[in-house]
Amino acid sequence: MSVAVKLLILFLILAAVAIGIFLVVAVSTRRPPQDQHEVARRGYTIRGWWFTSLLAFFVAMFATSIPFFPYLAGATALQPALKVPVIAMQYAFIMPTHFPVNKAIIFEVTSRDVNHGFGIYNPQGHLVAQVQAMPDYTNYLRVIFHQPGIYTARCLEYCGPGHALMEKTFVVGAK
Amino acid sequence: MMVDSELLKTDAVGCRVMRWYMGTGLSLVGFMMLVGLLLRASQAHWMPLSADTFYALLTLHGAMVIVALNMCGMGGLWFLMRQQISLRPSVAVVAYVLTVMGAAGVVIATLIGQFAALYTFLAPLPFHGNWPHWSTGVFLISMALITMGWIGWCMQMLGGVLRAYGGLRPAMGWDFVWHRQSFDAAGGRVPPPQAFPALMVGFDGLLAGTSGMLLGIALLVHWVDPRVLISPLWAKNLTYFFAHTYANLIIYMLAALIYVGLPYATGRKYHTSAVLAIGWWCSMALTLTNYFHHLYMDFVQPGAFQYLGELSSYLSALPVTAVTIFSALMLVWRSGMKWTLGAVFMYAGLMGWVVGGIGAEIDASVPFNVHLHNTLWVPAHFHTYLVGGCLLFVVGWLFLYVEARSDRRTGAAMRWLVGLLTFGGMSVFLAGFYWAGAYGVPRRYAVEPPPGPHLAKIASIGAVVMLLGFFVALFEWLRLRFGYTARYRATMIPEVGAHD
Ligand SMILES: [Cu+2]
Repeated sequence: MSVAVKLLILFLILAAVAIGIFLVVAVSTRRPPQDQHEVARRGYTIRGWWFTSLLAFFVAMFATSIPFFPYLAGATALQPALKVPVIAMQYAFIMPTHFPVNKAIIFEVTSRDVNHGFGIYNPQGHLVAQVQAMPDYTNYLRVIFHQPGIYTARCLEYCGPGHALMEKTFVVGAK
Repeated sequence: MMVDSELLKTDAVGCRVMRWYMGTGLSLVGFMMLVGLLLRASQAHWMPLSADTFYALLTLHGAMVIVALNMCGMGGLWFLMRQQISLRPSVAVVAYVLTVMGAAGVVIATLIGQFAALYTFLAPLPFHGNWPHWSTGVFLISMALITMGWIGWCMQMLGGVLRAYGGLRPAMGWDFVWHRQSFDAAGGRVPPPQAFPALMVGFDGLLAGTSGMLLGIALLVHWVDPRVLISPLWAKNLTYFFAHTYANLIIYMLAALIYVGLPYATGRKYHTSAVLAIGWWCSMALTLTNYFHHLYMDFVQPGAFQYLGELSSYLSALPVTAVTIFSALMLVWRSGMKWTLGAVFMYAGLMGWVVGGIGAEIDASVPFNVHLHNTLWVPAHFHTYLVGGCLLFVVGWLFLYVEARSDRRTGAAMRWLVGLLTFGGMSVFLAGFYWAGAYGVPRRYAVEPPPGPHLAKIASIGAVVMLLGFFVALFEWLRLRFGYTARYRATMIPEVGAHD
């Protein structure tokens, strides 16, 4: 199961909980009306808990997510890796078509004309890595392919009417 | 029955401004939803469009829906604030004319000029397309007109609030929050809840609009003289600061309608509290920095902005859920509220806001963004927010408005019919986006890789059902509208030639 499908499941669970809460509150209007001051007194307590736990959750999420940021530290960029230039243009990628397995690769991604995206889809069709391709700038994307097979690079930033045609397949593993 | 509500006021000027803004905005939204359906049907291979036409229509759809819903927010908040502070209609008229002229220009640039660099017009794409040179200029000038209208509206709103409450400090409720006893002792009057969206949107909107104009002028200079160079990273930052903020502020404007609409519907009171004020201060700050989440995949962006983007995107959920949404739930809880269509739409809008927000927060996490950025997950969450949130607030507001004045009532069968069609269709329509996003289908593809086309079929069917629901709702709204009680009947006929 791809990361994105797991995220979809997470989303569905959270959305269901949220909708459930809304439905419970909606159904409460059938019960005898309660004085607003009484509702407020209990509501403020719940709100305090809600605010505190949500704040704690987000701060924890933020801290947890930092090690997984894809941005290359200067030291990482200097480590031994296969440096591969990728030049995007309307509507093609100029790049090699064979890559080794289990070896650190740093894609040096830039563009010749407009903004493009460089999205890598694995043999199962899961989007596993991406970076923008921008004219005048070079983005460094570090990837290790653990799985041999045929991969597809797709453009993930709208670049003109040929955008959907902009893709390139490449092989990871033995020739 | 509760008689004292801003909803019931019949200030002729405010009503007319709201009528024009919301009428124009909603008509545009209606047409643009049909264009959106055409785009989904094309992706489903049912009604294939050429790539040039597809992207020209996508540009039209994106730009117009944002502008149209923004107009609804502008009109609604203006109506409410007109009752609190002094707002001259001339500014609202000028802003309206500029916006409509801009919208007409966007229609010309896209439908006749085939301009197709999308609503975000990321530089340097507008100058590298296969559309004629003139259409780029018309599009940029049109967006500049819209932005000028927006800046005018924001300046009036911000200036009006600051003047009426005696400066930034009292308008923010600063002493009300921190020095409550001396504030009360001095007989201080705190602004009503709807004044906080007015202050926040006026302030943030002014900054966003100014940045948008700066970018627009740079692009227009480049259009006239291509030797003038623009940094793509600089342009991207300004583009998203303007475009994200302009779109995001829609729902903050519409929050004012919730602050007035829900107390009316529930028969309860809603006052400014310290928590409300602090919540809006936070929203005011966080809305300015969370646009950085659009640039997560630009690794050359200074690293600090990426961290700031994630943190502020997360934290912006706090004031929304702990203040506006939570207060709304407390208003409804055991209130005995009657579920008229106005109440149903407005309440459903709160749900759409939260559900779209969950989708947005997942995407706003940098490690997850790697797997979701520029897939259909992005339109999934913002369609939830725009259609399931913003649009429902506007529709709900307009229903509450006529329900309060009409002799006629909507029967249970009609309410169920509208609810099932609208929300059932909407869920299917949105599910198509989320599902495709989770399967890595890129957004903005005229021809999608699988499973895109299959999901586009499902989504198209959902969209048709949803549109049918809105269509039935329109007729029900008109039926209520033409059944006004004698007291309000006079307000039905526009006073032609009346000057204010
Ligand atoms: Cu592209």
